Amino acid sequence: MNSSLQSLDQLQRGQHGHIGALVGNASFGPMDGLVTLRLQELGFLPGAKLEVIGHGFLGRDPVAVRLGSTKFALRLAEARKVMVQVATLA
Amino acid sequence: MSTNPALTLALIGNPNCGKTALFNLLTGARQKVANYAGVTVERRSGEFADTGGRRYQLLDLPGTYSLHASSADEVIARDAVLGGLKGERQPDLMVVVLDATNLHLGLRLVLELKAIHRPLIVVLNQIDVARQRGIEINQVRLADLLGCQVVTTVAIARAGAAALLQALPGFSATPQTRLALAKQSVEDLYRQVDQILLQVLTNPGRYPHWQDQIDRVVMHPLLGVLLLMAVMFSMFQAVFAWAAPLMDGITATITYLGGMVAAAMPPSALRSLLVDGFFAGVGSVIVFLPQILILFAFILALEDSGYLPRAAFLLDRLMRGLGLSGRAFIPLLSSFACAVPGIMATRTIPDPRERLITIMVAPLMTCSARLPVYALMIGAFIPRQAVLGVFNLQGLTLFALYLAGIFSSVAVAFVLKRAGGRSQSYPLLLELPSYHWPRLRGVLIGLWQRMQIFLRRIGTIILALMIVLWFLSSYPAPPPLATEPAIYYSLAGMLGRAMEPVFAPIGFNWQICIALVPGMAAREVAVSALGTVYALSADGDALKAALGSIIQAQWGLPTAFAFIAWYVYAPQCLSTLVTVKRETQSWLKASGLALYLFGLAYLAALVTFRIASWITS
Repeated sequence: MNSSLQSLDQLQRGQHGHIGALVGNASFGPMDGLVTLRLQELGFLPGAKLEVIGHGFLGRDPVAVRLGSTKFALRLAEARKVMVQVATLA
Repeated sequence: MSTNPALTLALIGNPNCGKTALFNLLTGARQKVANYAGVTVERRSGEFADTGGRRYQLLDLPGTYSLHASSADEVIARDAVLGGLKGERQPDLMVVVLDATNLHLGLRLVLELKAIHRPLIVVLNQIDVARQRGIEINQVRLADLLGCQVVTTVAIARAGAAALLQALPGFSATPQTRLALAKQSVEDLYRQVDQILLQVLTNPGRYPHWQDQIDRVVMHPLLGVLLLMAVMFSMFQAVFAWAAPLMDGITATITYLGGMVAAAMPPSALRSLLVDGFFAGVGSVIVFLPQILILFAFILALEDSGYLPRAAFLLDRLMRGLGLSGRAFIPLLSSFACAVPGIMATRTIPDPRERLITIMVAPLMTCSARLPVYALMIGAFIPRQAVLGVFNLQGLTLFALYLAGIFSSVAVAFVLKRAGGRSQSYPLLLELPSYHWPRLRGVLIGLWQRMQIFLRRIGTIILALMIVLWFLSSYPAPPPLATEPAIYYSLAGMLGRAMEPVFAPIGFNWQICIALVPGMAAREVAVSALGTVYALSADGDALKAALGSIIQAQWGLPTAFAFIAWYVYAPQCLSTLVTVKRETQSWLKASGLALYLFGLAYLAALVTFRIASWITS
């Protein structure tokens, strides 16, 4: 096993790993802190296990992930805030 | 004991934790249980008693992930528990409902609520599903660690709340306090949650594989969209195909009863009121009950199954071009049943601009009150024939009318988005809950409610309007040497003829103009009004034909199509306008909605009439 840190919007379907950190995204403007808070409240926290389970119709946006025992849909703007330690098979 | 006021309880918990099902179980309140994050936007309360006869007031708060509210309905939940909600008693006891299959998310809310130091009891709901998944929870340990009582429930089973009912007598009223939200770090809270789970969750269980297999198809970018289209299409086909035999039966019964009354009574004003006002007017609307129920059955089952958030996920990108998001999909789908709950469901949309656009286009979704109008016109003017062997031409026409509404809403949303300028981006962050089979009981309760609402409307507002209309249409009596039917000389006839010049360019005759006036209250009233107007227009005592065949004989195709086009847009529903006013807190926005929809209605009817006249001439 090897791993690399990537933002969630870069991940392909089926890729999984652990969340490394949440980072800022300027496109949310002054609301960015609130978006971070909501992500944290939903369980997007460092160490949480996450898997990409699909993308929306027309392109890659939004992205659906499994997080623990729940599934969530995120737009790429939110996904960009989630840095993932991607598990890769050696 | 009985002199004490009832203890007030509030149910609070994450969306999709089965809170509303538990509410139904406790209070027996007949209301909708759904899976979509945010269906509980109305205030719902009820009363119940425990085995000892003690009474409780139960309030069902909107589902919320956190006290840091991010949408209008979460604000309600937060303010209610903090004691800052206007006109609302702060609950004596918070009943915190957790989905036992998703403790991680629920426990964080419990810890947040514990910090406001009000009495609470923790309910592990859906414990049956958790056990099926092999999840084992040490309930005693959990109660110890949380420092409060913990009970388990199965909200969909008859005796599923027994443990909760046994625990309630231990609580008493608490003084009201106005609280401020405590600042807590989310990481800290989750660290505590993880600590608790480590000691309490003796077996985490496994996420059922079949759920993922369903998602592989349902959320597939291509297959999922095809499936969504198939689901929508079958819904609209079913509305026509399945309802037909039932509707034929109702029509036959009403015609038979009307005929009996007509035969049994001598010609008199009372006979005219009964036959022309009641049977022709009210009867022509009641026929559509089967179609409305089939439509609602589909929507209720879809809401309950967990499918709708997936549809929202698939459509998010598409809707973004219109200034909307996937979140707007569920309110808009509800609007196919009725725009009123649809508009109220927009409270789950965090972005205020998106919420306003959704409210403005929701009345364009073909609601069930339009069904009687469309069904009447389609039944009269579109032949019942098969297309490509499997489809029914009438069903296809109805589908086309639904599409007309959808495409119009797309165009309007696009214009509104352009007009609004640049806006800030809001996150989607939509939970995709577990699937489960729609619960028959929940769907039946929902259908029962709808049937009551529909019949109550018929029995009150529609009946009253029909009696008034019958009166206006019957008096004054025609002059001795009348050449036209009596209604032509009546008050209603004068009104209709006065309106005719305005509506003549779109092909409406004076009979239609009469029907438009009471039709302002609700769309389906226009059908009964036409029923009464034409029943009174018929000459002689000959048994009156069904409304469909009368207008088929009297209206040209251009008028029929113009009438349909008018109803795609016309905001002929007072409840919708009042709801928009209440939700936007603005008469300006509500009247703006009415004006733009009337404008579109007139324009669409004009264009349709001109084109149809040109083709048929």
